[in-house]
Amino acid sequence: MSRRIFRIVFRALGTLLTVAILNFILFRIVPGDPAQLLLAGARTSVTVQQMDAQRARWGLDRPLFPDQVVDYLSATLHGDLGYSFKFRGRPVADLILERLPATIVLVGLAQMIAILCGVLFGIYAGWRRGGAVDRIATGASMALYTMPSFWLAMVLVVIFSTGLGWLPGYGIYSPGANIGSTDRFLDYLRHLVLPVTALALGLIGQYVVVARAAMSEVVTEDYMVTARAKGLTNGQMLMRHAFRNAMLPVVTLITLNLGYVVAGAITVEAVFAWPGIGGLTVEALNARDYPVLQGIFLLLGASIVLANLIADLAYGLLDPRVRQ
Amino acid sequence: MNKWSVDRRVIIKAMLMASAAPWALNSKAFASTSCDDQIVRIGGIAAPDTLNPFASYSNWWPLVFTYDLLVCVDAQRYPDRKGFAKAWSVSGDGLTWTFKIWPGLKWSDGHPATARDAAFTYNYIRKSIGNPDELNAGWNSTDGLQYVEAITALDDETLQIVTKVPSRWPIDNGIMIVPEHVWEDISYADAKGTFRNDPPLVGTGPMIVSEFQQGQFARFTPNQYFRTGRPAAAGMVFHFFNTADPIAQGLKSGDLDYGVSLTASQWADLSKDSAMTCGQSRVEQRDYLAFNTASGDGAGSTKALQDPAFRDALGYAIDQKAIVERAYRGHADPGVGLVMPAAADYYSDLSDIRRHFDLAGAARRLDAAGYRDKDGDGIREDKEGNPFQLELITGTSSGALEIPIAVVQLIAGWFSQIGIPVSVTQLDSGALGARTEAPARGGGGWDLHVSAGWRGPDPRSLLSIGKTGEPNNTSYWSNDKFDRLLSQVDVTVDLKRSRELVDQASRLIYTEAPYIILSYPLVLEARRNDCFKGWGTKDMMSMWGYFPFDRLKPA
Repeated sequence: MSRRIFRIVFRALGTLLTVAILNFILFRIVPGDPAQLLLAGARTSVTVQQMDAQRARWGLDRPLFPDQVVDYLSATLHGDLGYSFKFRGRPVADLILERLPATIVLVGLAQMIAILCGVLFGIYAGWRRGGAVDRIATGASMALYTMPSFWLAMVLVVIFSTGLGWLPGYGIYSPGANIGSTDRFLDYLRHLVLPVTALALGLIGQYVVVARAAMSEVVTEDYMVTARAKGLTNGQMLMRHAFRNAMLPVVTLITLNLGYVVAGAITVEAVFAWPGIGGLTVEALNARDYPVLQGIFLLLGASIVLANLIADLAYGLLDPRVRQ
Repeated sequence: MNKWSVDRRVIIKAMLMASAAPWALNSKAFASTSCDDQIVRIGGIAAPDTLNPFASYSNWWPLVFTYDLLVCVDAQRYPDRKGFAKAWSVSGDGLTWTFKIWPGLKWSDGHPATARDAAFTYNYIRKSIGNPDELNAGWNSTDGLQYVEAITALDDETLQIVTKVPSRWPIDNGIMIVPEHVWEDISYADAKGTFRNDPPLVGTGPMIVSEFQQGQFARFTPNQYFRTGRPAAAGMVFHFFNTADPIAQGLKSGDLDYGVSLTASQWADLSKDSAMTCGQSRVEQRDYLAFNTASGDGAGSTKALQDPAFRDALGYAIDQKAIVERAYRGHADPGVGLVMPAAADYYSDLSDIRRHFDLAGAARRLDAAGYRDKDGDGIREDKEGNPFQLELITGTSSGALEIPIAVVQLIAGWFSQIGIPVSVTQLDSGALGARTEAPARGGGGWDLHVSAGWRGPDPRSLLSIGKTGEPNNTSYWSNDKFDRLLSQVDVTVDLKRSRELVDQASRLIYTEAPYIILSYPLVLEARRNDCFKGWGTKDMMSMWGYFPFDRLKPA
């Protein structure tokens, strides 16, 4: 058992190192000169000297290999994610920590709602195959699953914000108002409704499909027939035998999806002008802000690796066959 | 089964409660925006990264509402839109400029704002020239200060700038005047980078940045010491967006009082709303087609691109009026020369030499220049006998209004009709910048380039697109006569003489045709009528200053 855990952790660390190296290469392959973009917006003519000064200021005039790559890897291994070009020398870690809460609340809340609704509907639909709930849930979840979340987001904005005017369609607060802390919190909740709904709807479809398929498989197993023959009620069969077995693939999906919580939902954040990690990624990409992009993608890689690690370990706990 | 029936009822109740949530959330108790608080809410496409005017060009908005410019564009165009200087004059030799600063002017923290602050700002920047941390990375830049001999505060209300050569830079520059008592101890290294200039700021403008949430908004409080009195609005909020969609939504829902950088379809939609007034402003942007005129490294796929006759002929195959009508839905002026109508001091429509759309005429000119379709396959060949297949790269540069893709489609269509097939590659601003860098820096290799630039209305900014070796000369064109004209205009103070030189340069580059100017897009804007009055008419909001936020009043 401990050898298995050691192997999993060792593999995870190796993956992270690979991610760190790939991050360095990947963003520099994309054409674009950060120095040029840092001077964008000037309404006077930018000179060659200005661009050279920017390159020197941010160390972009040094050779990529070995100077820049060695510095980057050494700093990363020491936990230093570097300094942003676009944000004029602000530590990358500070920028990420500043934006992370908005994303975790948005995506975390959407995941929780989706898990609750998706698993419940999926399990019930699988348990009562062919029933009305199954037909509706399966049809609706397939439709939601295939809809791009940014499109769903735009539809929600058009209906509930622009059209009906019920809810705000952008931002995290209504900053114009001088409001107290309670009202500010309620204002925050109002702003959360549409982006959370847009994200959750797509995820619900995913969970319903997986949970229904898992439950459909479980109800045909021999041990379910045995349980019925022993005289167990529907509820007892569902809770004691079917639910736990059907949860195996669902747990995998949940843990893997939780890995994406910090990655945010770039397109949904863009539609709602939500100031999270997704928005920061877009800004950094537009500015070719390599340190910020490296930091975000390292965090994303780490969270996915961690989620996989948890999934691997949880699977072992849920299914004795894996432990063997 | 009964157990499940109960659960279904619970679920239905929960769904009903959830469906009522929007009504509850929309109640007065939860609503946070209305006219009552008298706060002006603006939405625009902007991404300021710091409030330090020495470190970035991305922060025009919001800083322009807080810091005054000495003179710059608005004060030269409008008698009622002044900056830090109340009046100015120049000596007969064009070397000595004298500025009268507003008497009794104060910073927003109550300190006197004098000519010494203006002298400090300019000298602070000027003394950084040659320093490893030379201040050349933001609005407050050394660019132009190389022409300056001395900057002195003669007294609290008189600033004198002496230039080495006659120059209009003292009144054209866009440097933001900052308070000496805040900035005197900031090192050049910090000013150029890490000093964030966190709010509350200290300025002489009408609205002072009091809170800044990067990527979200800037909140302003009225400057109680503003030179014409405290602005009537209770405050202001500028929301920053990446796209125009939320701006249009915000205007419709009443969350925004004013929105800028709208698309044509959003503008048309908002125009139908009686609660809204829509407008369009001329600005100093020009959209253009550039030919890659480089030879050697970075050259295009054919030598024909280096031939003015070839470029001139293709100029006849572009219908600027159709571009305006079909791609911009009428919200642009047709392009002609380098100078756009917004730069009224230097504009000329070049009516005596301008090309008129004529596909047959373009084809005849190509034939006459030796670019015929010899094998009859519908595609012309260059003088080396190779069939044309031009690569057109396009994208929108950072800071410019977006170019509709229909512009490129129209051009590709017209060129193919005269036997010049074009393949289009659309790039983001970073990739576009990399491809159009100077060949010595790895750029080039493309044939045609459709892009845009938003510059200042001064001659240097208008003409630098044609100057040899300038980074924004993306056609790589080089012409000694044009460079000489630009050098002359750099040392000319007299407006009439400047206009003549700019006109000569415009005609020269028009004839040589390294660029075909496609259009001068208009900025589309809209405001709600319910909360405030005192908006501008031609331009609702100045693109070069803080008008009208110094004078808006609650409706």
